[in-house]
Amino acid sequence: MKATLVSLMGLGLVLGSCKSEPIEITAEELHASMDQLTEVMVHDIFSPPVASRVYAYPTIAAYEIMALNNPGYRPLAGQLTDLGSIPVPEEGKAINYPLAALVAHMDLGRRLIFSEDRFTVFRDSLYGVWESKNRGEFEAARDYGLQVADFIAAWMKEDQYNQTRTMSKFTVDTDDPSRWQPTPPAYMEGIEPHWNKIRPFVIDSAAQFRPTPPPPFSMEEGSDFYRELKEVYDISNEITAKGDASEEIAIAQFWDCNPYVSVTRGHLMFATKKISPGAHWMGITKIACRKTGSGFDDALYAYAKTSISIADAFISCWDEKYRSNLIRPETLINQYIDDNWKPVLQTPPFPEYTSGHSVVSGAAAVALTDVFGDGFAFDDDTELKYGLPVRSFTSFNQAADEAAISRMYGGIHYRAAVEVGVKQGRELGRFVLGELQMKEPGALVQKGS
Amino acid sequence: MKTKTLILVTLGFLLAGCRQGGGLFEQPGPGQTGIHFSNTLTETDELNILDYLYFYNGGGVAVGDIDNDGLPDIYFSGNQVKNKLYRNKGNLEFEDISARAGVEGNSSWNTGAVMADVNGDGWLDIYVCAVVGINGFRGHNELFINNGDGTFTEQAGQYGLDFDTFSSNAAFFDYDLDGDLDLYLLNHAVHTQDSYGKASLRFERDYDTGDKLLRNDEGRFTDVSEEAGIYGGINGYGLGIAVSDFNQDGYPDLYVGNDFHEDDYYYLNNGDGTFSEQLRSAFGHTSRFSMGSDAADINNDGRPDLISLDMLPQEEVPLKSSEGDDNLQTQRMRIKDYGYYYQFTRNMLYINQPDGKFLETALMSGVAATDWSWSALFADFDQDGWQDLFVSNGIPKRPNDLDFVKFVSNEQISSKISNTKLVDQKALDLMPSGNTHNYVFQGRDSLRFLDRSGSWIRKDTLLSGATAWGDLDRDGDLDLVINNLNQPPTLLINKGGDNRSLTLQLRFKGKNPFGIGSRVYAYHQGGVQMRELQPVRGFQASSEPLIHFGFGDSPMVDSLKVVWPDGQYQVLREVATGQRLEIVPGDTKPYRRHRQEPENPTVFRKIEGALGLDFTHREDNYTDFNREKLIPYSLADRGPAFATGDLDGDGKEDLYFGGSKRIAPEVYLQRDSTYLRYRPESIANDSLQEDVCAVIADFNRDGRNDLLVGSGGADFFGTSQPLLDRYYRNTPAGFEPGPLPENYGNTAVLRPFDFDGDGDLDLFVGNQSDTGRFGVAPDSYLLENQGGTFTRSDSFDGAGLGMVTDALWSDFDGDGQTDLIVIGEWMAPKFFKNQQGRLEPAGEMGPAGLWQRIAPFDMDGDGDPDYVLGNWGTNSKFTASEAYPLKMYVSDFDANGSSETVVATAKDGTYYPLVGLEDLGSQMVMLRRKYPDYSSFAGQPLEAVLGVEALNAARLLQVTELRSGYLSNEGGTFRFRPFPYLLQLAPVMELLVGDFDGDGREEVLAGGNYFGVKPYQGRLDSFPGALIRGENDILPGNRAGLDFMNKSLRHLALVEMGGQPFLLAVYNDAAAEVYQLTHQ
Repeated sequence: MKATLVSLMGLGLVLGSCKSEPIEITAEELHASMDQLTEVMVHDIFSPPVASRVYAYPTIAAYEIMALNNPGYRPLAGQLTDLGSIPVPEEGKAINYPLAALVAHMDLGRRLIFSEDRFTVFRDSLYGVWESKNRGEFEAARDYGLQVADFIAAWMKEDQYNQTRTMSKFTVDTDDPSRWQPTPPAYMEGIEPHWNKIRPFVIDSAAQFRPTPPPPFSMEEGSDFYRELKEVYDISNEITAKGDASEEIAIAQFWDCNPYVSVTRGHLMFATKKISPGAHWMGITKIACRKTGSGFDDALYAYAKTSISIADAFISCWDEKYRSNLIRPETLINQYIDDNWKPVLQTPPFPEYTSGHSVVSGAAAVALTDVFGDGFAFDDDTELKYGLPVRSFTSFNQAADEAAISRMYGGIHYRAAVEVGVKQGRELGRFVLGELQMKEPGALVQKGS
Repeated sequence: MKTKTLILVTLGFLLAGCRQGGGLFEQPGPGQTGIHFSNTLTETDELNILDYLYFYNGGGVAVGDIDNDGLPDIYFSGNQVKNKLYRNKGNLEFEDISARAGVEGNSSWNTGAVMADVNGDGWLDIYVCAVVGINGFRGHNELFINNGDGTFTEQAGQYGLDFDTFSSNAAFFDYDLDGDLDLYLLNHAVHTQDSYGKASLRFERDYDTGDKLLRNDEGRFTDVSEEAGIYGGINGYGLGIAVSDFNQDGYPDLYVGNDFHEDDYYYLNNGDGTFSEQLRSAFGHTSRFSMGSDAADINNDGRPDLISLDMLPQEEVPLKSSEGDDNLQTQRMRIKDYGYYYQFTRNMLYINQPDGKFLETALMSGVAATDWSWSALFADFDQDGWQDLFVSNGIPKRPNDLDFVKFVSNEQISSKISNTKLVDQKALDLMPSGNTHNYVFQGRDSLRFLDRSGSWIRKDTLLSGATAWGDLDRDGDLDLVINNLNQPPTLLINKGGDNRSLTLQLRFKGKNPFGIGSRVYAYHQGGVQMRELQPVRGFQASSEPLIHFGFGDSPMVDSLKVVWPDGQYQVLREVATGQRLEIVPGDTKPYRRHRQEPENPTVFRKIEGALGLDFTHREDNYTDFNREKLIPYSLADRGPAFATGDLDGDGKEDLYFGGSKRIAPEVYLQRDSTYLRYRPESIANDSLQEDVCAVIADFNRDGRNDLLVGSGGADFFGTSQPLLDRYYRNTPAGFEPGPLPENYGNTAVLRPFDFDGDGDLDLFVGNQSDTGRFGVAPDSYLLENQGGTFTRSDSFDGAGLGMVTDALWSDFDGDGQTDLIVIGEWMAPKFFKNQQGRLEPAGEMGPAGLWQRIAPFDMDGDGDPDYVLGNWGTNSKFTASEAYPLKMYVSDFDANGSSETVVATAKDGTYYPLVGLEDLGSQMVMLRRKYPDYSSFAGQPLEAVLGVEALNAARLLQVTELRSGYLSNEGGTFRFRPFPYLLQLAPVMELLVGDFDGDGREEVLAGGNYFGVKPYQGRLDSFPGALIRGENDILPGNRAGLDFMNKSLRHLALVEMGGQPFLLAVYNDAAAEVYQLTHQ
C-alpha cells in the first residue's frame, strides 16, 4: 500500500515538471471529499453526534476560504461561537480559492477521523493530479488551505471535545424503572453522555431548545406513557404481520442510519455498519446540489448551512436525552409485555427522548429548504450502497417527517420523542437560519466557479 | 510429619524432573499406529459456523477395552464423517474394525462419545450423542450394545435413549445407588443470542435443548428430570459435565458447565432421587463461556476439586485482539436485572473445602488462561504423586476477533449474512485462526501448576478437542488420545520414566461390573491421594475405566482403601507399587457416609441473631471506574467506618458504623445481653459523607468518649464539604461538632496516640487519595491535640506520603518511645522514629506492595515485635516481582488537562498494558488514531503504545511484592517474609491480634477479599480467613468456624459482652456478623 503511494507520488512529480495548466475544481471534488469522510467514518464506527462534528468543521473551513473570494457570500467569522476571521492570503499572491478550500476540507477531515491512511491515500492521489497539472498554483493553494485548516483546528480544539473524552461514563441507574438501560444485543454503554458540553455553533446553549418533557413514566394501563409504549408494540406487531415488504418496514429500514448494528451468532459476532443520520442528510444535500447543478461555491454553502444545523441539533438533542434519561421501549416491552419481542431496528445505545433522527432531520430539512426552496422533489439514493432502495420525496420536509415516524415503525421510539423531536429540530433550524447571514443581501451569487 | 512428607515428595519430584528433560510424551503418527481417522469438516453455504454455533466443537473419543483382551481400544466419533472403532492389537498398533463391529453410526452430526457397560454384562457398550433437528441434521443418539463377539447392535430405541435432540455429551453413573447405571444427557441450546433472556428461562423445560436425567429401570431409561430437580431450559448451553461425590456423602453429584450467559449448575445429590442446585452457596464465581471440565483431588486432601475451562488467551496477540469480559455496568445488569451469577472469562480452578464451598485459585495456580480450550484432564502423568493437567485447545477461526467483529465483517460478509444468508468462504477466512497449542501443566504442592507445554509435549498447531486418557501400551502410565479437527487424532504416549505407579482395575458386581462411582484412597508417606472412578470427564469423551496413582519412587504404599459404590469398603495393606491390580469386593465393611474427616476443633461459632446487631452496610451505586476509566481498582468502596468504645458512659463498649454516601451512620449501644440501635441526631444527620474510618476515644479529657470520623469514597472532589473529617465531642447535651483542621483527602485511617507525651491523644490521619487523582500521593497529617483542640503538627512531614491505607504506633526500635509505621498502596512500609516528640523518617522497610493492613505480632517468639502485613495476594491478574514489578504510569498522556493511569505487567520480560485498546482508546483518543485496528495494537509492548519518552516523563509507581507476609524484626532491621499460599488467595484487608483459641497466647486473625475490580479481574473472593499462630501454624478460617468467603471484610473486633469475648466481623455491602469464641 505504502509502496504504491510513494510511486504514485513519484509519478506525479515527474509528470508535474512537464507542463502547466490551470487547476479547475468543481463541486464533484467537494462531494467526493464529503463521501470520503462518510466512508472512513463508517469504517471507524463514529457515533452520530461525533460524526456531525466531523462534517461541520472541515466544511466551515472550506466555506470561509470560499467566502473570501465570492462577494455573494459572507464569512461565518463572528457568526459562529468564538470563530474569528481566517488568515488572508499573502498580499498579491494569486490563490486558487476552491482548491485551497478543498485542501482545507480534506486536511481537517483527515485530522478528525481515525483511519488516517485511508484518507491520506485519497488526498495524495488528488494532490498528485493537481501537482502534475500546475505545481505552482497547487502549492500556493495547498499552503494557504493548510494555513486555514490550522486556524480552524485551533478554534476547534477549544470546543471541549477532548475534555469530554475523559469525562465520566454514563452511570446506569438500575433502581429506577424509568431510567435508560443498555439494550440488546450488545448492551453497549450510553454513548456521549457529555455531548451537551460541546460548544455549539449557533445556538446560545445546549438547552436553548429544551423540549417539553416526555409523558410522565407510568406503567398504569390508562396513562399517556403506557399508551405510547403499547402503541410502539402494537404498530410493530401490525407491520411485522404485514411482512418485510410493507411500506412501514421499508421506511424504518431506509432511515435506520445506525452506524453500528451488532449481530451475534453464538461466539461469532459481527457488525453491519451504516451511515449516520447526519451522513444521510449530507447525501441528500449532494443530491440536491447535483439536481440544481450547483457549482463548488453554492454546494459549499449548502453543506455548511446543513452541517452546522445538524451539529447544533445533535447538541440540543443529546442535552435532552441525558436529562430525561428515558428508558427504551424494547426494555419495557421485554420486561412487562412480551419477553420475546424485538424491535424492527436495533435499539441504538443512548436514552430515548427525544429522537435524534427526528431532531436532526427537522433541522436539516429547514436548512435545505432555505437553500433549495420548498417543494423540492428528489430521489434519495443515499442508501443504495447499503443495500436499500431509492425512495422519492416531494420535499425536504416530507423526508424529515418520514425519517421521524420511521423511528416508531422501527420500534425504537415512542410517539412523543418523534413528534416533539421533529418540532425541536425545526425550531432550532429556523433559529440557525435567522442567526446566520451567509448570503450578501442583494448580491447575485455566481453560479459555478 | 506433614512437612516431612512434603520434603520427600518434592525430592522425588526433583529427581524425576531431571530425568524428564527430553519430553514426557512421544507422538507416534498414523503410519505407526494405523489410526487414520480424521474428523474432517466440510463447510458449505448451508452449514458453517454462521448456521451452527458449535460447528467447530469437534467429535468425541472414548477409550476402553471393548473385547476384554486386556488392551484398551479407541472409539472416535466424527461430526460429519463416520465414527470409527480401533482395536488395540498391542505394541501401539491399531486395527479399524468399525464396519465389522457395526458402530459407524447413522446420525448426520455426531458429538460426544462414551463407553459404559450400560446393560451390565461385563462388556463395554458405546453411546454416541448427536445433534438432530437443526440444519437438516437427522438421526438420533445411538447406543451400540456390545455383543461380546466383536460386533455391536444399535439398541438406543429399546433402551429409551434414542434422543433426537441437541446433545453434546452423556455421563453414565449410578445416581440412585440402585446398582445400575443411569444417564445424565447434556444438551445444548441454540437460543438466539440477541438478548440474554432472564435466568428463569432455565425453569421452562425444552425437549431439544434441555438437559435430561434418565433413570435406568431394568434396562429401560425413564426421564426423571422434572421430579429430580434438573433444569432443562432453552438457555442451557451444556458443554461440560463432571460427575463426582463432591460433598462426600456417598452419592455422586454433578457440575454442569454452560457456555455463554447461563450459569453453570452444581447439583448436589440429595440421596432420595432428587438433586439440589447449589451453585450460589458453594461457588463465589464461575467461568463464563464454560467448556469442558474435570473433577479430581489435586491437593491430596481427599476431596474432589474441579476445573472449568473458558477461552482466555495467554498470548498477547489473541488476548488483545479478542472480545473479552463485559464492562462493569453490563455485568451488573446481567446479574441484577437478568438474574445471572458472577461469571468471568477465564478458566476456574475450584478447591473443595470442608464446609462444602469451593475457593477459586486458577490465577494463582497458573492455569487461568489456555485460550480456546475444550478438554481438561487431571492425571498424574509424571507419577510424582501430584495430579497434572492436560488442556486441549484450538479453533479454526476466532469468531470473536475484534477486527473481524468491527471492521472486516462489515465490508465482506455482513450484508450477505443478513440479506441472503449466503456466506463467502473467503470472508470466513478473514477470521484469524486460533490453532493454539495444547497445554500441559505439572501439578505441585501448594496448588501450583507449572506450564510444561513445549517440554512434555510438542507445541503443535492442531485443532484439538475431545481427549481421553488410558494406558494404551500397558506400561503403567497414562497416555492420551485426542480427537482433532481435519487431522488424524493425536496419540500422546507417556514414556513414564522411573517413577512408580499403581493401576487398579476394579471388578464390581451386579449391573455395574466396572465399579463406576468407586473411590480409592491411597495412604502413603503420611499423605493421602484419592481417585474416583468416573470415566466421563473432560469434554465429549470417556477415559479408560481404571484407577491410576503415581507414587514417585516409593516401592510400597501403606494401604489402599477401596470404597465401592454400594457403600462397602475394604482395605489393602502394604501394596507394592509398579503393578497392575485387579480388585474385587472382599472382606468389606460398611463405609460411614456423611463422614467428614477429623477436623481441628473450631475456634469460632457464628451467632444467629448477632446479639441484636442488625447492621447491614450498603455500598452506594457510585463507581469511580466511570470517571477514571483506567484505574486498576476502585477507591470508592473502602467503607464502612467502624469503631468500638463506650459512648454512653455505662462502661460497656458500644459500636459506631459509618454509612456510604447518603446513608446515615448507625450507633449500637451495648445493653446487658444485646445491642440496641441508637440514633444520636447530631451524628445521624451527617449522612452525605461516605465514612471510611472512625475512632472512639476521650480526646478532650472530660471523662466522656468522643467520636472522630474520617470521610472518603472517592466521589466528592475538590473542596467539597462531605470530604471533611468530623469530630464529635461528647457532651452531657449530646454530641456536638468540634473543630478539626480541614482535610479534603479521601481519609483511609485514623490512629490516635499521645506521641508528645503531654497527656492528650494526638491523631495520625492517613489519606489514600485525592478524588480524581489516582496514583498521585496525597498528603497525610499528624494532628496534635491540645486540650481537645487539634492542630496540624509540624513534628511530622506527611506531604505526599503515599496512598495510605493503614498506620501503626509501635516502638519498632525498642528505645522505649513509640514510633509510627505507615503503609499503603504502591509504596513500601514507611518507618518514622519518634525522637522526643518529633517523628523522623527512618526509611522504608520491606518491598513496595498494595498494602492494606499492618498488625504487630511476635511471629517468631523472640520477644521483639514483627509486623504482619496484609497485601493484595497473588490470585489476581496483577503480577509483581523484584525483577518485574507491577507498574503504573501516571501522566496526562493525551495532553487534555487530566491525567491517566496506565497499569502494565510483564510477560516473558516485556511490559504490556493490562487493558486493551477499547479501554485505553476511550480515554486517549490519539491511540485510536495510532491503532486504527486491533491487530496493529495487539502484542504491542507498552513502550511502543505510549512511547518511551512519554513513559519517562510520567510518574512511575511500582509494586514488587503482592504477597501478604510479615516484616521479621532482625535486631532493628526488618526483612519481609511471605506467608504460604492460603494467605495469598485474595487481598488481606484486616488483621486482628488477640487470643482467640484460649491457649493463653496471642494469634493474628486475618480476613479479606475485595470486589472493587473490573470484570476483567474477576472477583477476589476466595480467602476464607486465617488464624495465624506462627509462621508454620496457620489455620484456615473455614476450618476455624469462620464464614468469610465470598464477602469483603473490612473490620474485625473483639468485644466483650456479659464478661464474654465475641468476635465482630464487619463487611462492605453485607451484614455484620458476630462469632462466639468456642473455648469460652
